[in-house]
Amino acid sequence: MTPLSVHFTGVSKRYPHFSLDNIDLALPTGSIMGFVGANGAGKSTTIRILMGLVHQDTGAVEVLGHPMPDDQAAAKRDIGFVSEDMRLYEAATLAWHMKFIQSIFPRWDQRYADNLLRRFDLKPQQKIKGLSHGQRVKAALLLALARRPRLLVLDEPTTGLDPVARHEVLAELMAVLTDEDRTIFFSSQNTLDVEQISDQITFIDRGRIIDSANKEIFLDRWRRLRLMLPPDRPLPRLPGVVEIGGSTRLPVLTINQFDPAMVALCQDAGAAVQSIDAMTLEEIFIANVQSRRDHSVAVSETPESVTA
Amino acid sequence: MNTYLVRRLIYKDWYLSQGLFLAALVLGALTLAGIAAAKGTQLAVILGVIILATILIGMGAILMSSMVVERRQQTLPFVMSLPISYLEYTTSKLLGCLFIFLVLWAALLLGMIATILATPWFPHGLIPFTVIMMVEMLVTTCLLAAVSVTTESQGWTIGVAQLGGLGLNAVGFSIVRLHGIKDTIVAPHPHWTPTALAILAIELATMAMSIAVAFYIQSRKRDFV
Amino acid sequence: MDTSIIISQSDGRPMYLQIMEQIKQKVAVGEWPPGEEIPSIRALAVALRVSVITVKRAYLELEREGVILTQHGKGSIVAPDPGLAPRLYDRELEDHLEHAAHIGNLLGLTPDDLADRLRDTSARLTAETLAKEPV
Repeated sequence: MTPLSVHFTGVSKRYPHFSLDNIDLALPTGSIMGFVGANGAGKSTTIRILMGLVHQDTGAVEVLGHPMPDDQAAAKRDIGFVSEDMRLYEAATLAWHMKFIQSIFPRWDQRYADNLLRRFDLKPQQKIKGLSHGQRVKAALLLALARRPRLLVLDEPTTGLDPVARHEVLAELMAVLTDEDRTIFFSSQNTLDVEQISDQITFIDRGRIIDSANKEIFLDRWRRLRLMLPPDRPLPRLPGVVEIGGSTRLPVLTINQFDPAMVALCQDAGAAVQSIDAMTLEEIFIANVQSRRDHSVAVSETPESVTA
Repeated sequence: MNTYLVRRLIYKDWYLSQGLFLAALVLGALTLAGIAAAKGTQLAVILGVIILATILIGMGAILMSSMVVERRQQTLPFVMSLPISYLEYTTSKLLGCLFIFLVLWAALLLGMIATILATPWFPHGLIPFTVIMMVEMLVTTCLLAAVSVTTESQGWTIGVAQLGGLGLNAVGFSIVRLHGIKDTIVAPHPHWTPTALAILAIELATMAMSIAVAFYIQSRKRDFV
Repeated sequence: MDTSIIISQSDGRPMYLQIMEQIKQKVAVGEWPPGEEIPSIRALAVALRVSVITVKRAYLELEREGVILTQHGKGSIVAPDPGLAPRLYDRELEDHLEHAAHIGNLLGLTPDDLADRLRDTSARLTAETLAKEPV
């Protein structure tokens, strides 16, 4: 069994107007997990519990082998954390921040930091208050990356960045993985980014994990089937139908357990298969969320956790 | 407790409040010079004291609310990502902010005593009362620190700062009427009467208590957020 | 080792298939000769900015198809098989023919119609290529 960098078992946290329910997460060392969810779904709360900043009500949290939140100081020595709501000190310069971080973390790599300064186009002598939003995000990322932490925990690392900056950041994140002992956990609303670089993908909605699997399995399992039904025929019964759209004669089935054998099944039932469309991660996420929120369609689901 | 990290955090707060600190020091020095130059006229002295008190209480409030400010300015996540526990963080705030304040306070106290000693028109009997009042400001600031750190609320901090200012006046007026103080206040030499010493002892005890209680309350808290 | 592989996110096909196809093309064309070492899974993933797991899948499939060989603990190489390149071209042709047949069906063409279209297209291309030759 590959070692896990992050392990949540049955984690719950109750707030007056929101609760995190029975969260399970397993992130193997050396891989990237993309965490996808709408605003208010519980991404930030989960990440705070991961960092030991919030104490869970029930369940066990282990990060890099340290039980959280009790061992958070030790764990954070090897974790680089950047969150969307994080600000640096406006009155100080980027150079001051770099020296400050360097004085705390012995693994600071100055050459790598200089490299990142160039690549992210940042001037160290500039005060933080003079930086644009994108530059601040990149500055915070630089401070986290140059320490070469074993685990990177990022809350919306590319949100608000222009396309070129996003490209740079994704490249740097992937470069981290050249070392197979380093792991990344990132939450994002940008499903394109998640789809591109994640190994594992987890969906969260309304405080619950609604699906978690490796990326290829997600992209393989989900399909839109466009059928043409003759007037007297009923819809063929297929497993894993999450949504039925289109019209009576031309139904469109969204399936979360696609198997090529289904094509023959449909044809046997008298339905002609017009096309089998792959779905983007965004479409999969939306279909997944909507099917759980809307109880009017009979759904057969298998929300298992599958790791690579 | 990771003392190295606590010291780093105190250094950080010190660095960020340097400008303010310097300004307060300069302002204080100017005020003292003004008092000395005014040749002991009562108006000048009263004005000077008010200004000095304002500087100290103002600085105290700003420093002590740095934890609340850190939360509001959203720099808290940055600090939280450092390898520290919540207890170490609040320790750095409690001790660090007090320490920075103490430096300013000590400088002004010494300045005041020097002014009294160096200028001919101030009776040295003023010294014990001055020290008591300065320590009173320290007490107020300690209480402010305790409240700010434990409540993490700007409202409470501001409220206590206001009360502290008013309280200072009230305390000042009542102490000045005490037998052990008012008989010796205009004497040519400083008299450390038992009353004066007792008051000092109470003040120091109050400071120690408020810090201890603050530490205790903080150690029971589980969450950073 | 040249890693000038380009992945398009707007391409409808899965990324691992795109990677596989481009690797097969490189082998077919001789850019990646038989027996030559190819980038490790992680190195390629980083260079392409694509999930490690996707590259891993591409490599697994390529190995299954006999295009590459993975030596335990030592990385991967192009299969040292001289007949590989022409076979890949052959498979590519097969893929394209299947695709054309599928579209022909959708359009309602008969196999003979399809054959006519192929013949016409091939003839046109040959004529165009000849026309470009320097006289």
